[in-house]
Amino acid sequence: MLAFAIRRAVWALPTLFGVSLVVFLLTTLLPDPAGADVDASDVVMRERMDELRRARFLDLPRFVNTAPRDVSSRVEECVPHVAAANAEAAYCALRLVQMGGAALPWLLPKLDHLGPVERGRVAVALAPIARRMGIGDERDVANPERAALFWERFWDDRSVDFTEPAVRRGVQRLVQRGTELREQDLVLVDTFALRQVVEAMRRTRDREALVRLSRIAQHVTGRGRVVPTDATPDEARAIVSAWSSWWFVHETDYVNLRGGEKVAASIVQTRYAKWMLGAATGQLGLSTRDGLPLLDKLLSRAPITLGISLLALLVALAVAVPLGVLAAWQRGHTIDHVTGGVMLILYALPTFLVAEILRVRAGGLLVSGVILPVVALATVAVAATTQQQRAAMIEALAQDYVRVARAKGARTLRVATVHALRNALVPTVTLAGVQFPALLGGAFVVEEVFDIHGMGWETLRAIEARDVAWIVGVTLLCALVTTAGLVASDVAYGLLDPRVREAQTRTRRA
Amino acid sequence: MSDHESEPVTPLARPSTKPRIIAPRRPVTPRAAPSIPRKPSRFRSALGRAVSTRLGGAGILLVTMLLLVAVFADILASDLPLACRVGGTLYVLPNVTRPATLEGKDSARIASEATWAIFPLVAHGPQRAPAAQEQPVLFAAPLSAKGHPFGTDRGGRDVFARVVHGTRSYLVFALGAVAASIALGAAVGAFAGLYGGTFDALLGRAIETVSAFPPLVLVMGIQAAVPRATLATLFFAIALTRWPEVARLVRGEVMLVATRDYVLAARALGASPWRVLVRHIAPNVRAPLVVSIVVGISAVVLTEASLDFLHVGTPQAGASWGETMSQFRDAPYAWWLLVFPGVLLFATVIGHNLSAEALREALDPRAR
Repeated sequence: MLAFAIRRAVWALPTLFGVSLVVFLLTTLLPDPAGADVDASDVVMRERMDELRRARFLDLPRFVNTAPRDVSSRVEECVPHVAAANAEAAYCALRLVQMGGAALPWLLPKLDHLGPVERGRVAVALAPIARRMGIGDERDVANPERAALFWERFWDDRSVDFTEPAVRRGVQRLVQRGTELREQDLVLVDTFALRQVVEAMRRTRDREALVRLSRIAQHVTGRGRVVPTDATPDEARAIVSAWSSWWFVHETDYVNLRGGEKVAASIVQTRYAKWMLGAATGQLGLSTRDGLPLLDKLLSRAPITLGISLLALLVALAVAVPLGVLAAWQRGHTIDHVTGGVMLILYALPTFLVAEILRVRAGGLLVSGVILPVVALATVAVAATTQQQRAAMIEALAQDYVRVARAKGARTLRVATVHALRNALVPTVTLAGVQFPALLGGAFVVEEVFDIHGMGWETLRAIEARDVAWIVGVTLLCALVTTAGLVASDVAYGLLDPRVREAQTRTRRA
Repeated sequence: MSDHESEPVTPLARPSTKPRIIAPRRPVTPRAAPSIPRKPSRFRSALGRAVSTRLGGAGILLVTMLLLVAVFADILASDLPLACRVGGTLYVLPNVTRPATLEGKDSARIASEATWAIFPLVAHGPQRAPAAQEQPVLFAAPLSAKGHPFGTDRGGRDVFARVVHGTRSYLVFALGAVAASIALGAAVGAFAGLYGGTFDALLGRAIETVSAFPPLVLVMGIQAAVPRATLATLFFAIALTRWPEVARLVRGEVMLVATRDYVLAARALGASPWRVLVRHIAPNVRAPLVVSIVVGISAVVLTEASLDFLHVGTPQAGASWGETMSQFRDAPYAWWLLVFPGVLLFATVIGHNLSAEALREALDPRAR
């Protein structure tokens, strides 16, 4: 049985892939902020725009990255502009400073190949890095002639520190026993240590180490939050996860891709892969309406909507199964006709109309806020399920084994429940799995009518505010829940009916 | 079959009691070979059978009435008269042709300017004319304000006109969206059913993927994500959510029929796949498709009304039941805003459901 359940779950994987593709395509419908006009000389504005685009991975190609960028290629892009002092120079200088220490191993050896004037320009552009590291005389780093010499000497002395093993050791020691000196050592390699720092932050739970690590990270990037010394574990975790999602977006600014990484990057460094990895690890980003993390919002709203839908489904089953059985048993009699007629009418009533009428007419009877919405939502499902149950029961009652059971003298109730119903339930359970998506959609409407602040209510507010991030998140979540529901109903189907299990196993082997 | 019978009878072959087969009235050409009158088409006889059942007849009657309301919406409610003489010019059916000279005038203005005018049942359009003379009566109860049998809504617009014109916009939209989804679904389904293999497997995944989204949520998501939500994007969104159902239906039917002996025989005789599809397979698929269309229309109308109710659907200017019903939420005393569109929506859904059920039974060969 477990094997059957697992097989069914694995079967859902291609569907999940398809779902992710559809939702991803939904995100690409969003307008690109680059469409807005930005003055090329307004470096700060361009930088902000860049950040906006990068947060949505718009700087990456959609599905295949033929030329993944990393720190060395970014340096190569930037240096000629700075050297030529053209219109792009200011922006490129800013980018170089942001890349900081991580760029130096690719940048400094290059200085020799430039002419003396260009060398001076680039060297001066690096001055903020030196200031950040806390080295060099201001007269040296800001003077074109001396700056080049300064950086040349710097590289002669310090290139040994700019190696991965050295940095890893430094970070390890800092985590094990942090001192000011060790922290200072890491500041001296600037952003070159960032990869190790962020990874160490993810690994360690020690608060003091987190404080030091986040302080380094904030110092070298000039952004983000430092873990306060009196932080609660939750607070610390939130800050670390903020750093980790920032790193997820900006990793290639600080890391050079080698061999295998480069090949992997052609797949991983794409908009789709980044978006999907982010979604899979719960980094859905922020809701643009109120700036709260999407995942938190989803987790707080979803239980309300899912709860209403599930309750409605259960209510529908609880009402419909006995009614359907009764109608089938009394086939052709008054009860059958009456239920048939009522169900016909219920089936044609739009959910929002039922909800609206219930809200106005039965508002005084409101015992608890849940009952009316669930009733409104369950109406359509009751109708469909009753008809299905009736048809299945009629078929089951006509089977030979039911006649045998009656012939051998089993009581009516026993025949109906034990013999016929067990088989007649199978299609109903399948229908329940199929109905769940419709109920979920209906819950969106019902929430709006009864002013219940679940996913549907939030979605409508999001549509008003054009908060597409939320809409994408909700669509994804609904699809995941629905798929899970389908898998569950199939497994239940297998539980109820051994033939289904066998058939599945057989077709797989064939 | 009718052209055989209606041909002028030549003097030589006078009408006689003899069977016609003995005296052919014209030389038999290879093209006119069948002289046996064809049976009425399967669909037409099925329609007859569906109408003859009590519930099916009621359903088809409802659908027909709604279609008539949709077609003759302008005759039932319009701000322009059916015919009038204004300033020495005779206008015939200006409510349909909407001449530029009368544009922007409302019924009261025309009534005062015209020598004579015959107005429709209700002399209001779904929108208020820009140059309306009458003061708008907001939230007028039915029959309380002159000329508004179903009352007025928040903007003083006539509810009868909005409901009647809403029928037209909903049915036209639903027909279009269902037609689009049927075309797409049938094409993809037939292809998958005929060729199978990888394409079929891919289609299976695609169908499962689209079915994983709650339809209403996916349509809402698309409407919210596109830069500008219009009726066209809604159309595509709804067609997108509906095609898998059709594709699944057609694929199953095609696969079933494709193994029948007569299809094998046609193939063996060298018929092209296209001919096999059109001549031998399509007639079998037609019946379930008809049912699917009828069910689809009610589903699409329901979806559209829900979206309009939530203000996520079409721009609010057009007449729509959902929009009228949504006004009830701000004015819970104005029951007419909920009841009249609600009754029509209910009639649409139940009418289509009953017709579909009757057609399904009538078209099912096993039920005969």
